[in-house]
Amino acid sequence: MPITRRGLGLAGLASSLPMGLATPALAQNEPIKIGWLAAMTGPSSAPAIGFNRGVVWAAEALNSAGGVKGRKVEIITRDTQGDPTKAVNATQEMISQLKVHAIWGPTNSGESLAVTAIMARGKMPNIHPCVVDSLIDPQKYPNAFRIAPSNTQWDDAVRGYTLNIAKAKKVAVIGDTTGYGVTAANASAAGFQKDGAEVVYKANIDATQPDMTPDMLRARNAGAQAIIIWSVSTGMIARMLNTRATMGWDVPFIGHPSLASGEIGTLIEKPANWDKVYAIGYKSCSYDASGKLPPRNEELLQRLQGKVNLQDTLLWWVACGIDAVNLVAKAVEASGSSRNEAIIANWNSLQRYPGYFGEYSFSASDHNGYPVSDVVMSAASSGKNGTFALAPGYG
Amino acid sequence: MLASILASGLAVGAVYALIGITYNTMYLTSRVMSFTAGQLGMLGGVFGSLFVLRLGLPVLPGLLATLLACALVGVVTEVVAVRPVLKSLDQHLYVLSTLAVALLIQHATALEWSTEPQPFPRLLGLGAGIWDEKYWLPVAACIATIIGLEYLYRRTLVGRAFVAIAEDNFAARALGLPERNLRIASYALAGAVGALAGFAGGQLLLAFFANGPLLNFYGFIPVALGGLGNNRGAVIGGFLLGLFQQAANFMVGGIFSSVAVFTLFIIVLLIRPQGMFGAPAARRV
Amino acid sequence: MARLWPYLAILALALLLPLTGNEYWALIATRMAIYWVLISGLNLVVGFAGQLAIGYVALLAIGAYTASVLTAGTVMEPLPAFVALGLAALAGAAAGVVVGLPALRLRTFYFAMTTLGFATIVTQITLAWQDVTGGGIGIPGPSMPAPMDTAWGFYYLCLGLGAVCTWATANIGASRFGRALVAIRDSEVAAEASGIAKPRLLVMVFILAGALAAFAGGLFATLQTYITPDAFTFDLSLLFFIAILIGGRGSILGPLLGTILLTLLPEVAAPLAAWSTFLYAALLLVIVLAIPGGIAALLDRNSRKPLPEDRAIQPRPEALAPLLGERAERKLLSLRGIVLAFGGVRAIDGLDLDLRQGEVHGLIGPNGSGKTTTLNVISGYYRPQAGSMTLGDAPLPPGHPVGRAARGIARTFQTPRLIGEATVLENVMIGATIEGRAGFLEALLSLPRQRAEERAMAAQARLALEAVGLAGLAGVRADRLQHSELRFMEIARALVLRPEFLMLDEPAAGLSAEEIRRLGALIRAVSRQGVGVLLVEHHADLIFDICDQVTVLNLGKVLAAGMPAEIRTHKEVVSAYLGA
Repeated sequence: MPITRRGLGLAGLASSLPMGLATPALAQNEPIKIGWLAAMTGPSSAPAIGFNRGVVWAAEALNSAGGVKGRKVEIITRDTQGDPTKAVNATQEMISQLKVHAIWGPTNSGESLAVTAIMARGKMPNIHPCVVDSLIDPQKYPNAFRIAPSNTQWDDAVRGYTLNIAKAKKVAVIGDTTGYGVTAANASAAGFQKDGAEVVYKANIDATQPDMTPDMLRARNAGAQAIIIWSVSTGMIARMLNTRATMGWDVPFIGHPSLASGEIGTLIEKPANWDKVYAIGYKSCSYDASGKLPPRNEELLQRLQGKVNLQDTLLWWVACGIDAVNLVAKAVEASGSSRNEAIIANWNSLQRYPGYFGEYSFSASDHNGYPVSDVVMSAASSGKNGTFALAPGYG
Repeated sequence: MLASILASGLAVGAVYALIGITYNTMYLTSRVMSFTAGQLGMLGGVFGSLFVLRLGLPVLPGLLATLLACALVGVVTEVVAVRPVLKSLDQHLYVLSTLAVALLIQHATALEWSTEPQPFPRLLGLGAGIWDEKYWLPVAACIATIIGLEYLYRRTLVGRAFVAIAEDNFAARALGLPERNLRIASYALAGAVGALAGFAGGQLLLAFFANGPLLNFYGFIPVALGGLGNNRGAVIGGFLLGLFQQAANFMVGGIFSSVAVFTLFIIVLLIRPQGMFGAPAARRV
Repeated sequence: MARLWPYLAILALALLLPLTGNEYWALIATRMAIYWVLISGLNLVVGFAGQLAIGYVALLAIGAYTASVLTAGTVMEPLPAFVALGLAALAGAAAGVVVGLPALRLRTFYFAMTTLGFATIVTQITLAWQDVTGGGIGIPGPSMPAPMDTAWGFYYLCLGLGAVCTWATANIGASRFGRALVAIRDSEVAAEASGIAKPRLLVMVFILAGALAAFAGGLFATLQTYITPDAFTFDLSLLFFIAILIGGRGSILGPLLGTILLTLLPEVAAPLAAWSTFLYAALLLVIVLAIPGGIAALLDRNSRKPLPEDRAIQPRPEALAPLLGERAERKLLSLRGIVLAFGGVRAIDGLDLDLRQGEVHGLIGPNGSGKTTTLNVISGYYRPQAGSMTLGDAPLPPGHPVGRAARGIARTFQTPRLIGEATVLENVMIGATIEGRAGFLEALLSLPRQRAEERAMAAQARLALEAVGLAGLAGVRADRLQHSELRFMEIARALVLRPEFLMLDEPAAGLSAEEIRRLGALIRAVSRQGVGVLLVEHHADLIFDICDQVTVLNLGKVLAAGMPAEIRTHKEVVSAYLGA
């Protein structure tokens, strides 16, 4: 059965039902329980839905190959809806009640900030893809590992592309009015100023505002040569793109991965409005001029064919979900134990582990595992099976 | 710049005014302020997108289907959340029952439609820039609604019956007016007005489940400012609110514009609880 | 004691919980306790006073941020956790008044909307004020000192606080303040006539609820370990609000059970997470339509016991002497030249009237002649355009109905204004509210003076019930009484005030002949204790039987005035009104 959004929701539902009744078995045959804190429903659920397809696929792949040293992998999903309160409850449930061996997630920064300290208290091995820098601190949270870029890495990539490749020296930085939008826009503007660029306009726009003309006009009047976007609101981004076209302004949009979201394609008035838009992307999931992904992921695409729907999600989400499950399995396999310390110790010594999303390296003093050089900009409108073309200007 | 503030201010103002009229239409026959008013506006956008874009109906049948669907939602609201609590109006149970129905509508939409904003079709393909149809369609819809309602209330028998019920419920019933049927009709009418707001403003607001609470709040402000049940007050209040909001968006930015709108709203209400054009509360003893 | 056992059972279960050793349950139970600290206060606002404050998550956020910012040391030297919590409660008290103020002037739906708007604003400010609140990144919550720094230690702390809140808000609920809140909710007019000033009372309750909500916010921040604006969702606000309605208005136990239920529900039904708010909404609708009384009504078996069918109202005028005492001096209440017009219609047109203590003064006249309007002018609900009123030697200021009770003017209403969900005894005790001297804080802590006052008020109310003949129904919910009984209950509520003047608006309407006879005897007996009675009535027989003076109104003017015997033979009166 091809894995689709709806089908998966039900599968997740079914698989999470019997968990409360699980009885402790002998450690050797006991399944490896991975808690998966997923914002599967609610307003910012798109990434978790993508991750989840990877998670389910990876667990099935491992189990059909006989499991890890004879132990099955069991995914225990809790839908947090992106609500920190639900995430806190679910985390404690996983630690104290379900007694999972490792936790993957949560997927949104707000929830992640709330549960990180709780997982640290429970010494729970944790991998997550959240971008907020302060989430990773090997001193305070020796159990937490990140397998996606941090905000700083995203920021660096956007700034690097804007200044060095798009050659814009005057920028307008725009975020939405959510917590993430406000913070990211502030950090980004500060970064641009530090690097000598001029932030000629900075604004946080209410994502529900129906008309973006005033802000766009002011950005243009201020002399902006590039618009930097920090928002997950596809509605707001699409309105800005339409306004740009109406104004006949050919300024580039550079920024958050949501710029490349498929939803935007349906919201813009004509396809051309999506040109000159560059979203954060990843080398591993970007195709080159000949339309080819890096070989490892070309092969992954073949394997996912017909099993995982990539049409309405991003390959990097799926790949990241696969990597997360594999990293736990790998640690148990290598150390021969699913005890907390064993898993954490294994991750701490991980060097250039070849995942699908990236090549991860952790050490006891650095839990940011994603290589900076793999963060690239991609052409937002070039989406194909959840992958993107590299933005112009990469050699 | 000023032109674009005016265009978008009047456009969203017209949508707010229409939602205000939706509140008023329900209030007139039932003395109930319903939390579903904003949801009807949201559904206008969602049904419009569903019928015209997903199901491929032409614009006019799509509009009709949208109006009908929302009129039905209005009738269901009346049956489920209003009629059962009318007996004890002074206990304000209607606040709770209509809030519950509004939440049911919103969450059902989120689950069954989408939690992301969905596209709304271009209807006529007329105009560009500040004369784009997305700006003047809501204003045109608002004017048409006002004219239509004036005609209904002044020239038709049904409309006069509405007015009679609104002025004195008991007397109207004593005269043999079918109070219950008129109330159902007014809820259907309110549904259609709300749907028209969402449909005409669809290109601005998109087909988005979260528009419900937003329209609920911003559509209520014109009612509060203009006086309960006063449609002309609601229209003036709606346009003023739209212009003020867009100007505030422009002057102080997205975060503080909602603070500015809310603060002004509270101050006006505390000074004149009955609204700018409303009459003081009736006697109590 | 019997009413205590559910609380004790919950407390016992809560104390046994650590035996599970499962920190997940510690977390959920701590969450319940923290929510209950907020809800217990909000319960007084929503459940007792009937003010539909939907957006209380705003106060939770204010408390959470205040406590977190003060302990984090970002803006000033870090403070100890409990000092920060105390300051958070102060901030919440202030914010509680700001959120609540519109309730003093605005109608229900308007108030609900303003609380929602307030919640939005608080979120926007926490986002924008990044230097202090950390913006979208948020800040860590306060950490508790040992031994409250473990899951179970913190649990005991929150459980203790929850228990204290239960006790304290139950104290308020059972005090004259709690009764007055319910009176405001169910019959604002009756509350006013009993001298209950809505603004002062509501402000006190908003301060308490705000402080408790913000204190809960500080605990919430500790529990979450870290707060960001997106933790303060509308769903959470809804949970607080619905817990109270599920529990039942005017109850403490019901909302407590509602809180437990709603916190537990999402944990039991984890796979249904996506539908949780949808289910809350459905639950709300079902409660409103099917069981408006909530859990409390389901638990209240007492109110389903049938009342005796053949009961009769047997007034005992002997009880009036100890209730009302003797009045040495006989005061005069005079109206001179009162004019009141509604639009172009002159409802009262130059009225002179003298009421004497110790006398029954009948006011009769055809419909629309201005009888009830006169009564409303005296009791301050209408402000006349011209004319003056004096009570004894002092002028009686026009308007201001709340001040009438303190001046010894009590009244009943044409349609009895009952507080349906309160017992008959509580309804009558409302009348004695104004005699309370113990403050809100004394009531909150149930200090000795407060307890003594409560006992005195209850005794007085029982005496009044005995006098009007309803002693047997003291413990029954008022909305179960028959119409005639409600009329006598209203008289008892007015008598408990120990009034100088008592105004009765058609007390005989709907009574049987035998009941009218007993009513007449009661009114006579009341006046013999030195109370001046103004009797607005249509029953001419009753008027002529018991009145010392009669005034006949027609079209807002005095048609005739004098002794009953004179009026009975007055030509114009006979032709215009008595008709025989």
